[in-house]
Amino acid sequence: MSYLELSGLQKRYRDSVAVDDVSLSVEQGEAVALLGPSGCGKTTTLRMLAGLVDPDRGAIRLDGTEITRLPAHRRNMGYVFQSYALFPHLSVARNVGFGLEERGVNKAEIARQVTEALALVRLAGLDGRRPRELSGGQQQRVALARALVIRPAVLLLDESLSNLDAKLRDTMRHEIRSIQRSLGITTLFVTHDQVEALTMCDRIAVMNRGRIAQIGSPEDIYERPATRFVAEFVGRANALPAARDAEGRAVLWGQALPVKAPASGEFDLFVRPQRMRIVPVSEPVADGMARVTGRVLRSVFVGDHVEVLLEGAGGQLTIETQSGTAALPEGAEVAVIWQARDTLPFARPSARETP
Amino acid sequence: MTGTARLKLLVLPAALFVLAVYAWPTLGLFRNAFNETGPTGAMIEAWSLKTAQEVFSDGFTFELTLNSLWLSLSATLIALTLSYPVALFLFRTTSRFRGLLAVIAIMPMLISGVVRVFGWLAILGDRGLVNTLAQSLGLISTPVKLVFNWTGVTIGLAESIMPYMILALLAGFGQLDRTLEEASRSLGASPARTFWRVTLPLSLPALALAAGLGFVLSMSAYITPKLLGGGRVFVLATEIFEQATTNTNWPVASVLAIYTLVLLLLLLVASNIAARGLQR
Repeated sequence: MSYLELSGLQKRYRDSVAVDDVSLSVEQGEAVALLGPSGCGKTTTLRMLAGLVDPDRGAIRLDGTEITRLPAHRRNMGYVFQSYALFPHLSVARNVGFGLEERGVNKAEIARQVTEALALVRLAGLDGRRPRELSGGQQQRVALARALVIRPAVLLLDESLSNLDAKLRDTMRHEIRSIQRSLGITTLFVTHDQVEALTMCDRIAVMNRGRIAQIGSPEDIYERPATRFVAEFVGRANALPAARDAEGRAVLWGQALPVKAPASGEFDLFVRPQRMRIVPVSEPVADGMARVTGRVLRSVFVGDHVEVLLEGAGGQLTIETQSGTAALPEGAEVAVIWQARDTLPFARPSARETP
Repeated sequence: MTGTARLKLLVLPAALFVLAVYAWPTLGLFRNAFNETGPTGAMIEAWSLKTAQEVFSDGFTFELTLNSLWLSLSATLIALTLSYPVALFLFRTTSRFRGLLAVIAIMPMLISGVVRVFGWLAILGDRGLVNTLAQSLGLISTPVKLVFNWTGVTIGLAESIMPYMILALLAGFGQLDRTLEEASRSLGASPARTFWRVTLPLSLPALALAAGLGFVLSMSAYITPKLLGGGRVFVLATEIFEQATTNTNWPVASVLAIYTLVLLLLLLVASNIAARGLQR
């Protein structure tokens, strides 16, 4: 049995289902991201773990003990809130020491551990400040120190980086990951930011409509999305409407590809723009490669890459090419090739069910 | 004209109105305070401190002050204790009836003070709801005096200021955030500890604001002490009214009115300083 087990968790509100059926096992020391669009139930799941929301159904087990109905203050979960939730009437030191005070730790020991925790998040010397005298990044660190100092059974981070600017977010991402690794602390991140999920976690649980769509390593999720939703949500992908020929191959823009089509129903081929390459039409097709031809509609310089929009017989697709190469003139006839194994066919949802 | 100057123009109508109906009469009040009262009771135009001397050398003024302060303090504390939970509930509830509940809580504001007093008479009188119930339950044999004395006035006053205090509390709860309480819970504080360490400290500015308002309203309340006091309760407000109407002694009424005004101003300043200190 795993260190942390969620089984069949469900939470309904008056007119909606926040979490439908979530089961997840987390090993000790592991960092798992709950990734999904807003309203997918990821935060509700985290709040159920912390005891801030009572599940309607299902169970939570920590280290073999059921804690489903245990009140929040007896769970020993370190929660870092999206808004940081620092106590405005207490100094930084009292904020960080709050949990230790509640645990009846003596004053000298609290002072020692608070100093240590503030050093860990690189805030040494700010003990006496009030939260509102700190920058957003510093507040975030205090919130992290406050959650870590109680040596929580599990560290829970709720969109903790979303209020920081892009550059700071990058720094904090690496810092939190390295602290998490060095302390070996079991961690659950809630995020809608795929970069955060991909870079900070051992495993990712992609959530959609109150359920887990796929659990796997960042590579699994990115390279082998299990559902159409995952393929669309994580990373960018061309969704190309395709047909099926007599031999069961996928046909795109009138050209049969060495890709197996689903047995029945309408489907789209998913190909990531950066896996595609533009070559002259005259170049022969190598084994295991898919190829279509088209005309360049426009090229957009994005800095580290160039986005090329291509129009073919059956629609458009986007290709990301390295910048620094000669720009393609608009209207140029080119061929696009990619590894056939980078092509993922997914059934097209009917008009009623949006993905 | 600059933007700010034009903006100031917006205040002009209100300023003129206040000047006409408040500042001018208040000036008259100040003028009257220096007049004297002749042996016949007629007002004599003068510029003297004789009336003020008379008022402040009279021990009754001191007694009235203590009465007013004590009554206001008890009514405010009672109302604060009762309003705080109500305001907290209204602040937090996610019920779809929240708006309706808030209106119910401040409904007494919409009822005339006189009508409200008669309501209390029906509840607290000798044959009122409370006494009848207590007697029929055998708890008491003779009715307990709950009106026409300080008890009745305190109860009635506390009730009449509650709506204002609930509104003041709701306005002052700015820093109070559910997430902070959740953070406290997640750090191991029980609900009771969370209330003590987070909710209450963060409510202090609101409590100070509400207490200040309640106290000022109590100090200047006239109808409740007059009607529920049954002529046995003497406070500054009732005395000012007596002097101004029954005795038509305007100089004395003016001195007492200015004295009350100064007391209130001092209390407001003190409560503001306290509230600001708590907010830090």
